[in-house]
Amino acid sequence: MRKKSSRQRGSRSRPFRLALISGVLLTVGLILLVFVFGHQEVGPMHKLLFETVGPLQKMISRTTGSFHSLQKDYLGLLSVRDEKEHLWKELQECRAAAYKNREAMATNARLRKLLEFKESSGVPTVAARIIGKDPSLWFRSVVIDRGSSNGIVKGMPVVTGDGIVGQVYSSSPHYAKVLLSIAPSSALDVLLQKSRVRGILKGTGKNIYRLEYILKTVEVSEGDHVVTAGYGGLFPTGLPVGVITKVKKQHRGMFLEIEVTPAVDFETLEDLLVIEQEKPVVE
Amino acid sequence: MLIIGFLLVGLLLIVLQTTVFMLTPTWSVAPDFYYVLVAYLAYRVDLVRGLVILLPLSCVLDVFSGTIIGMYPAICFSCYFLLKFISVKLPVRESLYHVPLIAVSYLVVYRIVFLVLDFFQPDTLISWSWPIMLLRAGLVMLFAFPLFRFFEFLSSHSRGRLSSLKILRSRSGNQFR
Repeated sequence: MRKKSSRQRGSRSRPFRLALISGVLLTVGLILLVFVFGHQEVGPMHKLLFETVGPLQKMISRTTGSFHSLQKDYLGLLSVRDEKEHLWKELQECRAAAYKNREAMATNARLRKLLEFKESSGVPTVAARIIGKDPSLWFRSVVIDRGSSNGIVKGMPVVTGDGIVGQVYSSSPHYAKVLLSIAPSSALDVLLQKSRVRGILKGTGKNIYRLEYILKTVEVSEGDHVVTAGYGGLFPTGLPVGVITKVKKQHRGMFLEIEVTPAVDFETLEDLLVIEQEKPVVE
Repeated sequence: MLIIGFLLVGLLLIVLQTTVFMLTPTWSVAPDFYYVLVAYLAYRVDLVRGLVILLPLSCVLDVFSGTIIGMYPAICFSCYFLLKFISVKLPVRESLYHVPLIAVSYLVVYRIVFLVLDFFQPDTLISWSWPIMLLRAGLVMLFAFPLFRFFEFLSSHSRGRLSSLKILRSRSGNQFR
């Protein structure tokens, strides 16, 4: 009995299901037709949906966007330390390279000056480098890395591209001591380049010379150049010595008090040229 | 061992003073390391050893510096005997008081040597400057303490080695008794 009644119910619901499915298919088909062949205009319903869902979409996309950027930032931060160390290392290398370049440029300029002097003077010279400085307060001398095995003997003049530096005081086979011209015990025969008046240049121990035995009658002004006189054959004639920076005329005495600033910067002295002479002045 | 060690250290100090600490040929504020060594020898080392170390070092200084031969031996020996005399006569043996004495002796010895040299060879020395001399004396005082510590270490190290060598020798001599 029961089986019979269920069969009867199934046969009644079948046309209903069929009608429902065909209705759904028809509706979908119609919607598709409208989408494909319709005006493609957004209707009020569409707009309402847009307006309702839009803010939600916006909020979620913003949240996820900020989360993404946070994640990106964090990941980026993890790699920053390594990158910083790498960049710091690179910066140090660049600084070292820049320092080396500057040093090379300065050396190049200095050596070029020496070479120019060597070529223009035409006298045989030996290039030397300062390796030690006088530690005492009362003298001014330096030790150079060339000695008698390089042909350097006592009395030879020492110069740079800027002017005179001093003379060799003593030498061993590979090293020599140079008495600087600013030492108080140093005295040089010099000329005022303009007036050709002769005087004696004495060291003061500081970066200044004192020019002595210039008569008050001689016209001397600040800025006048002082050059080696070349008497006695120690220094070649006309080597730059310095520039007059102070002229004082005292009431007493016959001579002027003159201060000369050295042509050579003794503070930055490094490379020198020793002028080779056949018979250097020994005493 | 002690003599060789101090000679080598003295040479090293002189080389440092004439190269690293002399920035330019006219640099005035280089510390006189050798003077601290002289003071240490006067205070802590016996007369014979002190003089044996001092003589070659002062000659080396003479080679490196100046135009008056014998100036540095004069300074070194004056300082040595002055400090030796003071260290014997001074009632206070505390090493803390030795440091200012080094600076005072530096000024006294240099002043006397300068006056003598200036008298016998005028116009060969750079004029005396109290501010610079006081600065140099201050530098000597400043470097005295660390250098004394180093010299003490060197001295104890070389003595330790020597005594261990002596022990070894005495053992080898006694083993057949």
